[in-house]
Amino acid sequence: MKTLNEQISDVIDKEPVALFMKGTPQMIMCGNSHRALNALHAAGAPVTTVDVLPDPRIRQELQALSGWPTIPQVFVKGELIGGADITEELLASGELGQKLDEALGTDRMQDVKAVALELG
Amino acid sequence: MEAETIRAVLEQAFPNALELSVEDRTGTGDHFQVTLASPAFDGISLLDQHRRVNEALAAPLGDGSIHELRIKTKGTA
Repeated sequence: MKTLNEQISDVIDKEPVALFMKGTPQMIMCGNSHRALNALHAAGAPVTTVDVLPDPRIRQELQALSGWPTIPQVFVKGELIGGADITEELLASGELGQKLDEALGTDRMQDVKAVALELG
Repeated sequence: MEAETIRAVLEQAFPNALELSVEDRTGTGDHFQVTLASPAFDGISLLDQHRRVNEALAAPLGDGSIHELRIKTKGTA
């Protein structure tokens, strides 16, 4: 089995848009995770979500990888975009859409999927 | 944690801030909105601006005294 660190890195590197959040899109456990998800939807992003709540180690490993202390965290093609505030600001300025167009093309899918990490 | 305490930390970290406010959003001393305009943010990305604020508040973010931090930053240029 891959380590948590490897699994998190895989999601960040391989998913077009990764959102580390509290809860899942069906059961959002935090207002800020909700804000980030809504902003990504509004920008027409496909979103792969990872719930950090099942184990505190997920958050610790993520924080060590990204250097970002808070949840949610949004990545586009492996690049940290920021948390809810930045994602909303970039949506409002149009930069989020622009970034997604550049990274993923304009005819991208808008599906949402939740990934559960394997906890050892 | 008092908003005033956070404000003092940020004042020290960003001595030339043109605008600095810290609001306790919920009145419970753990959800804060920080608004900060500083020349330290001129020419750096929004991500790095937020990083600077997070770094200044690393201790209370790390020990859970701050449960939620909303950040609004801008440069002065």
